[in-house]
Amino acid sequence: MQSRLSDWLVKHELVHRSLGFDYQGIETLQIKTEDWDSIAVISYIYGYNYLRSQCAYDVAPGGFLASVYHLTRIQYGIDKAEEVCLKVFVSRNNPRIPSVFWIWKSADFQERESYDMFGISYANHPRLKRILMPESWIGWPLRKDYITPNFYEIQDAR
Amino acid sequence: MASLSPSSFYNIQSWSISRRGINRRGNSSSSRSIRAQQQEQVQEKQEQVQETQEQVQEKQEQVQETQEQVQEKKTGGVQQQPRQPNAKSKNMSVEYGGQWLSSVTRHVRIYAAYIDPITHAFDQTQMDKLTLLLDPSDEFIWTPEACQKVYDYFMELVDHYEGAPLSEYTLRLIGSDIEHYICKLLYDGDIKYNMNARVLNFSMGKPRIKFNSSEIKNSK
Repeated sequence: MQSRLSDWLVKHELVHRSLGFDYQGIETLQIKTEDWDSIAVISYIYGYNYLRSQCAYDVAPGGFLASVYHLTRIQYGIDKAEEVCLKVFVSRNNPRIPSVFWIWKSADFQERESYDMFGISYANHPRLKRILMPESWIGWPLRKDYITPNFYEIQDAR
Repeated sequence: MASLSPSSFYNIQSWSISRRGINRRGNSSSSRSIRAQQQEQVQEKQEQVQETQEQVQEKQEQVQETQEQVQEKKTGGVQQQPRQPNAKSKNMSVEYGGQWLSSVTRHVRIYAAYIDPITHAFDQTQMDKLTLLLDPSDEFIWTPEACQKVYDYFMELVDHYEGAPLSEYTLRLIGSDIEHYICKLLYDGDIKYNMNARVLNFSMGKPRIKFNSSEIKNSK
């Protein structure tokens, strides 16, 4: 199975790299940070009008941080919607990724959560601040090198 | 965001610390009756004042004075009064930003504010002060020496975190360290569980006989 977006991107000479297919046959593409702005717009123009999910993860200790976008093309009269998964990798020292808020508005809270947990700062996000942790919190809790502070909690009860 | 500047640590003597200042269960019923008596007396005096107002208008100034005296008495006899939930608190409303810098766990409550030990009025305009309320739920029996130990440790921690931003995170670090210190005091036998506490759930471990932290392998 060949992804149509991948073909389309190749045809328009846009740099990307395929990371293979997942168990549902959805192709995963790796995209450079500097290309992400234009490719996000292009994929919206191509027809991906629905950002199904945005998430992030820490690839390896000391390695890259990844921001993942699941896009869906929703049309009338289609039995199986076309889907694609895009991944953007950034270094953990200066994680900056262009925000897709202005393309898919549903990225708002999800990018805020990725910022809160991993410290990936999404450029041009309208209100990028912590969403789950208290605003005075220090550190990015879901990074692999995060050390949990020795707070006294109720579950310390013995 | 304000930061803990070194200058704010010079007035360390004025830092308020009130131990278990909220409510003493044993006294509450009696103090309520005292308060009711006071209110009755006050009402009587106000009635007298009204009578005098009707009788002689020229004595209005004196009447006002007596009213003030009555108010003073109201606030003067507060030492036997219970906690006043409607005590005037400064700078807590939304128009002042509504910041409530605190670290609240079961045995340690730290507020970046001044709390009047008598009326329990909050004053968050005095941001250079930290107030520590120790064990408000009376879970432990506190001796003055144990209190002083916790207080000294509190001072030590505040000195240690000097220069850190005054935020909930820092306060929580301090509060957590004090909680762990209280746990250590309990294991060393400096404090004991209060068996007459309202909630008896032994939140720092079940009481044991001959229990010392030096006998436990993994304790600090």
